Amino acid sequence: MPDEARLAAADQPLVFRPKPERPPPTSSIGVLGWMRANLFSSVSNALLTLLGAYIAIVFFTAIINWALVDAVWEASNRRECLDRVGRAGACWPGVIAWIPNLLYGLYPKDQVWRINIAFLILVAWALPLWLPRVRSKVGIGLSAVLLYPFLASYFFHGGAKDLLWTALIALGMAAFAWVWLTTLSERTTGLPFGAVVARLTGAPEDDEAATRTRARIAYAVLYLVAVGVTTQWSLSEVSTRYWGGLFLTLVISGFGITFSLPAGVMLALGRRSQMPFISLCSTAFIELFRSVPLITILFMFNTMLPLFLPVGVEVNRLVRAIVAVCLFAAAYMAEIVRGGLQAIPRGQYEAASAVGLGFWQSTALVIMPQALRIMIPTIVGNFIGLFKDTTLVSIIGLFDLLSMARAVGEDTTWLGLFLEPFFFITMIYFVFCFLMSQYSLNLERKLGAGQRR
Amino acid sequence: MSGAAATLAPAATRTGVPAIELIGLNKWFGHFHVLKDIDLQVAEGEKVVVCGPSGSGKSTMIRCVNQLEQQQEGRVVIHGRAFGESAQKDEEIRRDIGMVFQQFNLFPHMTVLENCTFALTWVKHLPKAEAEAIAMSLLERVHIPEQAKKYPLQLSGGQQQRVAIARALCMRPRIMLFDEPTSALDPEMINEVLEVMVELAESGMTMMVVTHEMGFARKVADRVIFMDQGEIVEGAPPEVFFANPRYDRTRLFLSQIL
Ligand SMILES: Nc1ncnc2c1ncn2[C@@H]1O[C@H](COP(=O)(O)OP(=O)(O)O)[C@@H](O)[C@H]1O
Ligand SMILES: [Mg+2]
Repeated sequence: MPDEARLAAADQPLVFRPKPERPPPTSSIGVLGWMRANLFSSVSNALLTLLGAYIAIVFFTAIINWALVDAVWEASNRRECLDRVGRAGACWPGVIAWIPNLLYGLYPKDQVWRINIAFLILVAWALPLWLPRVRSKVGIGLSAVLLYPFLASYFFHGGAKDLLWTALIALGMAAFAWVWLTTLSERTTGLPFGAVVARLTGAPEDDEAATRTRARIAYAVLYLVAVGVTTQWSLSEVSTRYWGGLFLTLVISGFGITFSLPAGVMLALGRRSQMPFISLCSTAFIELFRSVPLITILFMFNTMLPLFLPVGVEVNRLVRAIVAVCLFAAAYMAEIVRGGLQAIPRGQYEAASAVGLGFWQSTALVIMPQALRIMIPTIVGNFIGLFKDTTLVSIIGLFDLLSMARAVGEDTTWLGLFLEPFFFITMIYFVFCFLMSQYSLNLERKLGAGQRR
Repeated sequence: MSGAAATLAPAATRTGVPAIELIGLNKWFGHFHVLKDIDLQVAEGEKVVVCGPSGSGKSTMIRCVNQLEQQQEGRVVIHGRAFGESAQKDEEIRRDIGMVFQQFNLFPHMTVLENCTFALTWVKHLPKAEAEAIAMSLLERVHIPEQAKKYPLQLSGGQQQRVAIARALCMRPRIMLFDEPTSALDPEMINEVLEVMVELAESGMTMMVVTHEMGFARKVADRVIFMDQGEIVEGAPPEVFFANPRYDRTRLFLSQIL
C-alpha cells in the first residue's frame, strides 16, 4: 500500500473503492440447495419429509388405481360394473351417461346450444379485457357486468318479448357489437370506434364536437339495428324449472358475485357514513344478514316472501334464490370492503380533498382502488365460498350441480352410484375454485407491480 | 397568481386584501382545547414560518386554513371569502390552496405523472394532453421530469415530497401550505426539498410553512411565528425573532432546536 501511505501522508483523503459483487455460494441455490435447506436440514426434518412422501404416494396410488387403473369405462348398468371389478374400481359409465344432466340439468337437449352460445358470448365479451392496446377497458368491463345479463337471460329463458325486454336485449346486443368494434378499431388505429366512424364520414380531426356528434349517431344507428334484429328473432321458452346442474350453479353464483361487490361497496360506505340514518340502515342490514345462516335465508325467502307480496304477483323460485344469495353475499362483502377502507391512511382522503376532490370522487378514484386492491385475496376467497355455498339452493328444490350428482345414484339403472358422481363434481368444483384463486394471485401480482418498495 | 419577483415589502400593500385571515379561532378535540383564540393575517405573497413544540397545535391550525379540520369558533377567510357558506363555495375556495404533508400522501396506485394530472382531469376537466403538459412543466420545476412514469414508492423520500409539491402546484393555487415537509426525510434529502421551496418562495407565492428548519426560516420567511399550547405566543421577522425573542418560552424552545 505505498500509494495509500503516500496519499495519507500528503493529507489527501483516501479513495473509497467498493468491493466487486460475488455470486452466492452454490450450496444455497438450485434444486439441491433448496432441498437441503428446506427438506433435509436435520434428522427429524428428513424423517418427516420421508414420512410425508410415503403417505402422499400411498394415497395417490390408491386414488389413481381406483379412478383409472381398475375403473370400468363401458357398461350398461351398475350391476355390470360390480360384477366385473366390485368396489375396487370406479364405475364411470353412469357418470358419462349423466354428464349432460350434470352440466345442464333437465334443460331440453335440443336447446342446450343456447347455453353454450351464451357462454361463448361471455368469453368473447370479456376477452378484450386481456388484449393489449385496448383502451376502453372500463367501458367493456362495465358493459359486461351491466348488459350481458339481459342478453344471457333471454338466451337461457327465451319466450315472448315485451317492449321493455326487446329494448334491453337490443341494448345487450348493441353493447356486444360495440365491444368488438371498438376493440378492433383501437387495436388497428388507436382510436375508439366512434372516433373512427367520425373520421371515415369526414369529420375533421381536430373538431371534437363534430367527432362526438358523429360518434353518437353511429351508436344510435348501432342500437337501432340491434332493435331491428331483436324483433326478427326469438327463442322458445324454457322455464327455469328445467334449469339445473353446473349451468344453474354458475347462474346463481354469477349473479351473486357480480351483485355482491358493488352492493358491498355501497353498504360499506353506508356503514361509515356520517349520516346516522344511512349508517344505521346499513349496519342493521349487514348484521342481520351476517348473523343468519344462508340456508335459513334461502328458506325464508322461499316460503315467506310470497306472503309479503301482493296477491297475484308471483316471483319465480330461482329469482327468490338468487335474491337471497345476492343479499347474503353483499352483507359479507360489505365487511370485507370496510376492512379494506380502514387500512387506507387518513392522509389519502386529506390529500384528495386538498387537491379539490369531493367525497364521491376521492372515494371512487383514490380510496376504493387501493382498498379493493389490498382486499383481493379476501374478496376472491369470498367469491369461492359463495360459489360453493350455492349448493344450499338444493334445499328449496333447485337442481344445482350437487343435487344432480345425487340424482345419479337414484336412477334405477345406476342405483347406489354415489361415489363416482361426487368424485366427478369434486373435480369440477376444484377446477373452478382453483382457477379463481390462481387468477386472484395473478391479479395481485399484476396490480402490485411497481408499487412495492 | 401574484407577481413573479420576490419582495420583502409587506405584501398587503399590493392588493389590500389579506390572503389568509384567521379570526378568533377556537377548536377542541373532545374536551381538549387545542386552538385558543388564534388571530392571524397573512398578506398576499407573504411567507410565514410556524414553529413550536410538538403538540402545540401547529398542524391543527394550518389544517384549519384549508378546512381539513373545522374550528368550533371563529372564521377562516381566504382572499376575502369566508369558508362555511356552502359546500360548493368551500370547494372553490379550497382550490386556491395547495397543501404538502409530512407523510407526502401521494396516491400509491398512480404513477407520478398521474398523481399530478389527476386533479386537472377530474376537477378542472382538462383534456389529457393539456393536463400532461402542465404536469410535466411542474415536474421540471421540481427537477424530476425523468421520474414521471414511475410509481411513488419507487422514489426516494425527497423525490416523493417534490412530487407532492408538483401535484399541489398543478392546480395553480395562490397559497401553499406546508406541514413539516422535511420531517419524514433522511437528512441528505432535506436540502433538495428546501431548495424547491426556496425557489417557490422567490416566485412570489403566499406560503405558510410549519417547519423546524430555521435556516429556511432565516432565508425566506417574512415572519416567524411561535406557538405553544394552542396559542400564538409571538411572531416577528426572522432577524428580530431569532436575535431577540420576547418570551422566555420562545427562548427556551430556540435554545433546544438551534
Ligand atoms: N384528530 C385528533 N383527535 C384528537 N386529538 C388530536 C387530533 N389531532 C391532534 N390532536 C391533539 O391535538 C394536539 C395538537 O396536535 P397538532 O396540531 O398535531 O400539534 P403539532 O402539529 O403542533 O405537533 C396534540 O396534543 C394532539 O394529540
Ligand atoms: Mg404536526
